[in-house]
Amino acid sequence: MSDVTNTTTPVMTTDNIFEVQNVTLRFGGVTSLNNVSLEQHRGEILAVIGPNGAGKTSLFNCLTGVYRPQEGIINFHAAKHGTVDLVGKQPHRICHMGVARTFQTSRMFNALTTFENIKIGVEASQKSGPIGAMLHLPRTRREERESDHRTLDLLELVGLTHRLNTMADSLPYGDRRRLEIARALGTNPEVLLLDEPAAGTNPSEKLALAELIRTINKETGTSILLIEHDMRLVMSLAERIYVLNFGEVIASGQPAQIQQNPEVVAAYLGATADEGDA
Amino acid sequence: MIGPSRILPKWRLDLEDLRLFSTCLAGGLLLAVMTGPEGDLSTPLYTVGHALFTTHVIGFIIFGVVLGAFMVYNKKVRSGILNATGRNWIKAIPTNVKSFILSSGLIEKIIIGVVALVAALLIADFTGPNVSNKMSWNQLVGQLLHTRTYGYIAIVFWLLNTMRVRARSKDEVSKAPSFFDAKWVKVLGGVLAGLVFAACADPWLPVRFSLSYFKWSGSSDRDFFHHWTTYLWTFCGLLIGIRAALQDQMQRRAVVVSRWKARHIKVSANTRFALYAGALFIAVEAPKFISPFWQETIFQQIGIFCLLAVGLNVVIGFAGLLDLGYVAFYALGAYTNAYFSGALPIHPPFTINTFFVVPLAILVAMLAGVILGLPTLRLSGDYLAIVTLGFGEIIYVLASNLTNITDGAAGTGPAGSFSMNLPGVHFALSGFAIQDDLNFYYLLLAFIIPILFFFNSLNHSKVGRSWAAIREDETAARSLGINGLKYKVMAFAIGASTSGVAGVLSSAKLGPIFPSDFALQVSITVVVLVIFGGMGSITGVLLGAAFIGWILQFLIFHSFIDYNQADKYMYLGAILILTMIFRPQGMIPSKRRMREFKNAEADLGSADAVGPAVGGGLT
Repeated sequence: MSDVTNTTTPVMTTDNIFEVQNVTLRFGGVTSLNNVSLEQHRGEILAVIGPNGAGKTSLFNCLTGVYRPQEGIINFHAAKHGTVDLVGKQPHRICHMGVARTFQTSRMFNALTTFENIKIGVEASQKSGPIGAMLHLPRTRREERESDHRTLDLLELVGLTHRLNTMADSLPYGDRRRLEIARALGTNPEVLLLDEPAAGTNPSEKLALAELIRTINKETGTSILLIEHDMRLVMSLAERIYVLNFGEVIASGQPAQIQQNPEVVAAYLGATADEGDA
Repeated sequence: MIGPSRILPKWRLDLEDLRLFSTCLAGGLLLAVMTGPEGDLSTPLYTVGHALFTTHVIGFIIFGVVLGAFMVYNKKVRSGILNATGRNWIKAIPTNVKSFILSSGLIEKIIIGVVALVAALLIADFTGPNVSNKMSWNQLVGQLLHTRTYGYIAIVFWLLNTMRVRARSKDEVSKAPSFFDAKWVKVLGGVLAGLVFAACADPWLPVRFSLSYFKWSGSSDRDFFHHWTTYLWTFCGLLIGIRAALQDQMQRRAVVVSRWKARHIKVSANTRFALYAGALFIAVEAPKFISPFWQETIFQQIGIFCLLAVGLNVVIGFAGLLDLGYVAFYALGAYTNAYFSGALPIHPPFTINTFFVVPLAILVAMLAGVILGLPTLRLSGDYLAIVTLGFGEIIYVLASNLTNITDGAAGTGPAGSFSMNLPGVHFALSGFAIQDDLNFYYLLLAFIIPILFFFNSLNHSKVGRSWAAIREDETAARSLGINGLKYKVMAFAIGASTSGVAGVLSSAKLGPIFPSDFALQVSITVVVLVIFGGMGSITGVLLGAAFIGWILQFLIFHSFIDYNQADKYMYLGAILILTMIFRPQGMIPSKRRMREFKNAEADLGSADAVGPAVGGGLT
């Protein structure tokens, strides 16, 4: 990468993968994120929680280049490319650097099969282009084979091998979330951003999902940044938690500390009292 | 489901069945009319009574009835109303025939021989160069003495023998390999079959068998070894032979490499191969037998339409971008050809052979596509359509008004024509003779067939999948590392270069070119072809182009009312409206597109050609 920006390397004893420093995002007069800072250690499962409208998804969109924050730095310490500031980068460039994400509402390619959905993620980083595809050049064929095998491995990992040829839109909801995770994993990320992966799944599916996330984290060493509303899932999975409210970080720490933090309790209970939000 | 089947007897047809049946029958009739003896500029319309009793109309009606009956039956079986014994029986025919051949004694062998003979005779009868309109016993008998008949008998028996050998080698693996299992025998057999086939397909085959026809030293195009189709079919035979020889290895490899792909493919590789081979045969041989008028129509209009439609299909169908200025690239191709052949007022530094102009035109059109695409493809939907529309008009106005460069509305001099004079290969396209049409057609075919293969593999590659992803959800696609702009520009450039090739080919045939050949209406027509045929489906747009190209010509002679060339856009509009009402996904849509339409109806996603920004725009 030519545009590696070595901004003031902070003195960190631990190996960080993400360092978000003072990010502010405004839409006109509305401030969605206000001076948000957070850091994620390499190989860690980090959760971001907060009431609805707290700016969690906006934060994800800033990290993946969908939104461009007005202020702040997002340092990504990639193993491959060194330290990069992600602010102002195109989403596909950020993906190639090793940041993959899933979406809050599942965004599958509905007219493609499960297999093709995952394969798109796998082969996006491959080099072969249209000429190779038209003429079936050896490199294209080799890359096709490689991505086929990788796709099959991923299907096995998320347990969808039997759904290989199913259209994405005819998958049950829980499988769709797993498929989305597999698709994001296909891009070989160093950090995986999961936006409410358990939304709309039943308790047994939630358990399986938590198991899957733990497996991915352990076996591939992928760091995981998680947004989730289900407190039990977050408390059991996450090693550390950040709490956002009205676009500001109000607390961070171990799950046990967060549970006792009065500010967090107030934010949640307040929201519950005002909006009747469970 | 349970309700109606309890009330009605099993075999009772409902309205759906009747509709299916009559669609098939109408399709058969349509095919009959399309291929039938048409009115010509000089000859009046045939009467209905006369037309109905020609051999091939009857043939097509029978085809329609059989197809309809089969479809209805199949539907009943699928919905569980009828049981599948009959269908299974039909499906088992090949296996049964194989085992019958395998276990045949002398009497069975004789029966097979007689059946094969009759089949060969019938094929010979229907493909003969002088099939009369009425079916007659005399003619059938007369065909017995025809050289072609011997050829078909040879082919049918060769096929039977291949089946026998394959059936045996499948059933008795342990048996020692026979003479026919040797690879070189298979290859040689393929070559010989190709030669025999070439002889059968030759329209100038002598009626009585004569050795002199097969002499090497002939000079006329009618001599067997002087005709290029001989070599084409021999080469195809060679390929089939090699394929047969390598079949076992291929199958083993296919099983290992792509066991998970097998379920994507509905028809087997052999069936697909046979379909391609059949299509190639019809494409090469059928035009020799049709009337000069249709030869000219097919070659000039339908061929160019096909090329344009296949190119635009990449832009609209694969990538989902609405391009209304497609004709601009066509014009660029044509004027490139005119420039390099010295037909324009400005002279090139050197004139070059038109065959070498083709890559140049591809470059020019592609460059124009990229230059137009890079800034505009950030736009979506309507905006893109309007910008491309504007680009098309700019090129048109430039061509009309830059009189000192393009000769303006007066038209250029004759643009370069294709000619080649290599040792052994002579090709020239110069005058207005009928034979020229045929040559031009084969030239078109030589361009179209590779392009079809290229685009087909493109659609099933990483690039095609990326296009589908961008079309469906660009945000998600970008989050997976797909550079949306790059792929859109790529689609634009590929479409544009196809259009450029079409421009060179069409200008080479037309001679002088006029700006009016590149008016907006041409763009619109090509968009209609793509939408009518089925966006994203190569077969669909080809058939769409052929059908609309045909109907525009057909109307000239068969219209009930006075038909004016200028009216044709009215008819095109009517076709477009009817398509939108009854079959918005097009006649033969691609599978991906069909699912997108289904999802759009269920509000799951957007199926617009132009992306999510436009609700209910063009499609």
